[in-house]
Amino acid sequence: METYFLKNEDISKFYERINQEYDLYLPVKVKNPLKAASDSKANLPTDDYSLKKYAQESKEDFVFNDYRCIEPIKTFLTQYKEEVCNYFEESDKKGKEGRPAALCGIKNCDLFSLKVQDYVFLEGTESDPVYKARREGALIISGDCPHFKETCFCRAFDINPYPSDGFDFNFSPLNNGYLVDAASDKAKVIISSLRNVLASATLGQISGRAGKRELMLRRLDEHLIQYKIPKKERLQDIILSGYDSPIWQEQMRTCVECGGCVFMCATCHCFLLTDEAANNNAKRLRLWDGCMFNNFTRVASGANPLKLRYMRLRNRYLKKFDFFITNLGEQACCGCGRCIDVCPGKIDIRYILRRLDESRTFSENKDVGNNIKGAG
Amino acid sequence: MKKNIYRPIKAVIEEVIEETPTIKTFKLKPEAPFGFAAGQFIEMTVPTVGEAPFTPSSDPGIKEKLELTVMKAGEVTAKLHTMNKGDIVGIRGPYGAGYPLDKFKGRDILIVGGGVGLAPLRSLLYNLFSGIDKYNKVVLRYGARGPKDIVYKYQIPEWSTKDKIDVMVSVDVGDETWAGNVGLVTTILDAAPVDFTKAIGIVCGPPIMMKFVTLKLLDLGFNPADIYLSMEKGMSCGLGKCGHCRIGKYYVCKDGPVFTYEQLKSERDIWS
Ligand code: SF4
Ligand code: SF4
Ligand code: FES
Repeated sequence: METYFLKNEDISKFYERINQEYDLYLPVKVKNPLKAASDSKANLPTDDYSLKKYAQESKEDFVFNDYRCIEPIKTFLTQYKEEVCNYFEESDKKGKEGRPAALCGIKNCDLFSLKVQDYVFLEGTESDPVYKARREGALIISGDCPHFKETCFCRAFDINPYPSDGFDFNFSPLNNGYLVDAASDKAKVIISSLRNVLASATLGQISGRAGKRELMLRRLDEHLIQYKIPKKERLQDIILSGYDSPIWQEQMRTCVECGGCVFMCATCHCFLLTDEAANNNAKRLRLWDGCMFNNFTRVASGANPLKLRYMRLRNRYLKKFDFFITNLGEQACCGCGRCIDVCPGKIDIRYILRRLDESRTFSENKDVGNNIKGAG
Repeated sequence: MKKNIYRPIKAVIEEVIEETPTIKTFKLKPEAPFGFAAGQFIEMTVPTVGEAPFTPSSDPGIKEKLELTVMKAGEVTAKLHTMNKGDIVGIRGPYGAGYPLDKFKGRDILIVGGGVGLAPLRSLLYNLFSGIDKYNKVVLRYGARGPKDIVYKYQIPEWSTKDKIDVMVSVDVGDETWAGNVGLVTTILDAAPVDFTKAIGIVCGPPIMMKFVTLKLLDLGFNPADIYLSMEKGMSCGLGKCGHCRIGKYYVCKDGPVFTYEQLKSERDIWS
């Protein structure tokens, strides 16, 4: 990996260069109408960010985001509703896709989520052609998190608030500019055309960044203590042992089945194929779907294995922390906290995991107690 | 151009056979040869209405034709049931894992079917019949609600005359035409002429029937790893991507639809 320093005043040259080849998206500050007021007394930033397409005229609005944007990176790889093919005439419109996207302001939680999305759409028997084209074409420009949101909990699962791989470029704010890591061949080609504004990073700058990162880790870890989120290694065990826990029913009481948690989730990927008439042809659409919806597992005959609400909540956690840990070796949760931000019923994944963990610990201790009694 | 994984190919309906008041068999001619292994499934498109998964019921050795035996249940199948000879449907696949025929060599094979669940089993039977020397014997036990609900009525008698094949049909509720056994299919398993502890058990039918047959087979001494279940779940993509068909750590469309009971026994609520 090569690391450079880019001065604040030169950043638009970097953007302009990217914009020559890509549809560039950059973070802006937005008011989030959905945001549930935070209960935390902590003095933490509450700004929200969203990615907007780069345009020279509004470039004052673009900022370096302190933490992740509202929308997960998956929104650039699959769309809420899109045509995946038509039949029976093959008329895939060539060039429909336009230029590949360059995504700025991506944080490490979103980079982690790509492990899950890639596993689903690129691995297995076949890869999804639409996803593959966008994913391979995309230029990912990630950034360190100089702050965190109240709902951020990446570190609970050993995900750091700064990226170390999985990006093309990574930006770390430092003094009056940025340290820029160029990781991929694509990035190196772009760098070679920007030599005049990039200087090789100095040892002092690199250790300056290391210091900032350490401080950020410490602050985030301290913030997370209060939530007592179980360690990554315990996730699968507590989900399986918590199958019959009363928590599912208890927490589901406030769910209004809006689907916000699954749609905003960086790792949720489920979809539904549906057909529509189009002239004398037909087209097949892929719609985002979610396991929190009543009809997600309903079959044609009307039977529905997840007919009760609590079963659907539990199912979502089983998918994330049992299915994916077994099949991918990673949990399908990156700790981005978007599901907490979006939920009108205030259902909080941190709290559910903590409760499952506590009752597991309780029953483990009870087992030990019983054994001792039995032995005596 | 690389093939699009979601796009079906065309197939023409060449014949429609009315099996029961709610079940029809559609004989299709795909626009290109379409191979599959017994137990694998396909996604069938009713143009502009949508897709549904079916396990073909025809001989896997024949690539030019494909037969689907379909019960009228939802929107797609309701529309399909109104379609006739000459109409066009779409197919894509085949998907998933079928029956591992190699593992059946030299064994007694007890096949238990319920209702329209005989469809996938018929394509397995075609396979077994054509290589019958490789197996010790094949015993089919089939249950239907009533005599009118039996599929392949025109074929079953012929199957029973074959060498090394033993067939018995039971109905839940008989009528004046029925001289055979009356009772759930589980009641005709005890006397099946197979060595239970060494036999292969193959089960396909509605979830509740699969559950009780599996429990029965375990009771009779079958090894969980020798019981093959054809699992059914709501599906959309058939490709292990859309997330609809999960059972525990598996996707039915990718890791199944045929599973051994051994694979599933530690998963929760598999029959619901
Ligand atoms: S979850 Fe972590 S990586 Fe994601 S925005 Fe928050 S601090 Fe940054
Ligand atoms: S479950 Fe919540 S915290 Fe985890 S990845 Fe999804 S939205 Fe983020
Ligand atoms: S049908 Fe889509 S994952 Fe199985």
